[in-house]
Amino acid sequence: MKRRNFIQKSTAATAFLTLGGLSLQSFASKNTKHITILHTNDVHSHIDPFPITDSRYPNMGGVARRATLVEAIRKENPNTLLLDAGDIFQGTPYFNFYGGELEFKLMSMLKYDAATIGNHDFDNGIDGLFAQLPHAQFDFLSANYDFKNTVLNSHVKPYKIFVKDGIKIGVFGLGIELEGLVDPKMYKETIYLNPLEIAQDMSRILKEEEKCDLVICLSHLGYRYKDEKISDLELASKTKNIDLIIGGHTHTFLPKPTVTKNIIDENVLVNQVGCFGLNLGRIDFYFDNDKNLASKGKSIIV
Amino acid sequence: MKKFIISFIIFSALFSCKSQLPQLVKIEGKQTTVNETIASNKTIENTIKPYREKVEKEMSTVISYTPINLYRNDGNLESSLGNLMADLSYERANLVFNSRTGKNIDFAMFNYGGIRAGISKGNITNESAFNLMPFENSLVVVELTSEKIMELVNYLISENVAHPLSKQFNLTVTEKGSDLKINNAALDTSKTYFVLTSDYLQTGGDNMNFFKDPVNIYLLDYKVRNAIIDYFKATDTIKVSLDGRFRNEKTLKN
Ligand SMILES: [Zn+2]
Repeated sequence: MKRRNFIQKSTAATAFLTLGGLSLQSFASKNTKHITILHTNDVHSHIDPFPITDSRYPNMGGVARRATLVEAIRKENPNTLLLDAGDIFQGTPYFNFYGGELEFKLMSMLKYDAATIGNHDFDNGIDGLFAQLPHAQFDFLSANYDFKNTVLNSHVKPYKIFVKDGIKIGVFGLGIELEGLVDPKMYKETIYLNPLEIAQDMSRILKEEEKCDLVICLSHLGYRYKDEKISDLELASKTKNIDLIIGGHTHTFLPKPTVTKNIIDENVLVNQVGCFGLNLGRIDFYFDNDKNLASKGKSIIV
Repeated sequence: MKKFIISFIIFSALFSCKSQLPQLVKIEGKQTTVNETIASNKTIENTIKPYREKVEKEMSTVISYTPINLYRNDGNLESSLGNLMADLSYERANLVFNSRTGKNIDFAMFNYGGIRAGISKGNITNESAFNLMPFENSLVVVELTSEKIMELVNYLISENVAHPLSKQFNLTVTEKGSDLKINNAALDTSKTYFVLTSDYLQTGGDNMNFFKDPVNIYLLDYKVRNAIIDYFKATDTIKVSLDGRFRNEKTLKN
């Protein structure tokens, strides 16, 4: 009994030591904290680089190269998150032959932290997506797809909070309206909820209740539309407390991340990196405990 | 005991640290192009290898032969590839449909935009079929009223594009209007027609709205690509011709 007591105590002490040790170190050595967010979207099963003879993207892309890049960045800054904004599936025979198994396995090896669900991720039906989940060692986030009457129930979370170097990063997912885009027999009983209302809810929960230092929306809504259809830019302008929207679906190649204003005139970043794993997006966030520095406001360099 | 004291001190230090909230002061955004200047990670490469080898072997397998180039734009309102696609889909799908219902499909119709790549003369491989039909669309049969068939005809005439049609469907646009024959017979307003298409088009793709609310719908659970591959595998040499199944006599006279 005594021995058991001792073990419990020392485990607790070690936990405090590790936790405190880390915090103390960063607290003492510098007041700055650095979080790196890496992201992809619409990779569409492009595992190999494009052939050298390809007319548009000769010898570009490739998961094995992306792995090298991600590894180097993680070495430089361990406080890194790697995210994907959906449409992981469909586009090369790898998907037709293996149903997404290799895509998920490789993303797990690259240590993706989370992904949201794109319309093409339903291409083998919701059951096809479910069947590949054992190969994914990362979380699927979607706050506006209600999966409670489907096989994905409890396998997809609305959001996840990551803590890196003491910084709380809240990430939530948003998906595009499936009706008219995906055959209902593929998505079955999935219920699509209004992404704007959900985003307003999520950002409030993450910022105000969960006290996140950083709120990221992982979206497959699309960058911008000519009509009223909800897009990332539209979402940015009608919400608050979101720092970054990582988008997909429209395969938009942005020369640099878009800086736009939210509903209370604060800056929001919206980014998307085209498609097919041709690019890796990177956003670095720097935090400071120095009140004087902080009061000067944040600078955005894009 | 010593340990306990240390941890207590650290714990309180942690709290005092926490009271000073970190403020976001700087954001930097950039993008890296993934190209040949970045070396491939060997572990990833080795994981992909067995998958790639199997895919490549399968994709390069020769399944048929064509003595001519097959394109979607080598005719006016029809094409070699469009005719082939519609005819082979009809042939493969009708086997399934007939065995299930005892009835025959009247004709097949798809969309020009759905033909994603041509096939060069020579050997046809699995890859040719994947390039031709990269999507996961499935074959469906819709039972349409004669009114919907007329909508379909009007759509074809106004679009004026070589949408793939099977050989049972003959439409000639004339000075006076149009002449339609389905299985060599004029349109019968007292009967319904079984039309083969894809689930994509049936659900309103390419504005083919006449497919949207059919009298009946039969899902064949047969992917368009699989029908193509099955046909190629069963056919040693592809024979296809332009037979004027959809033509405009007004343009011919001009
Ligand atoms: Zn996409």
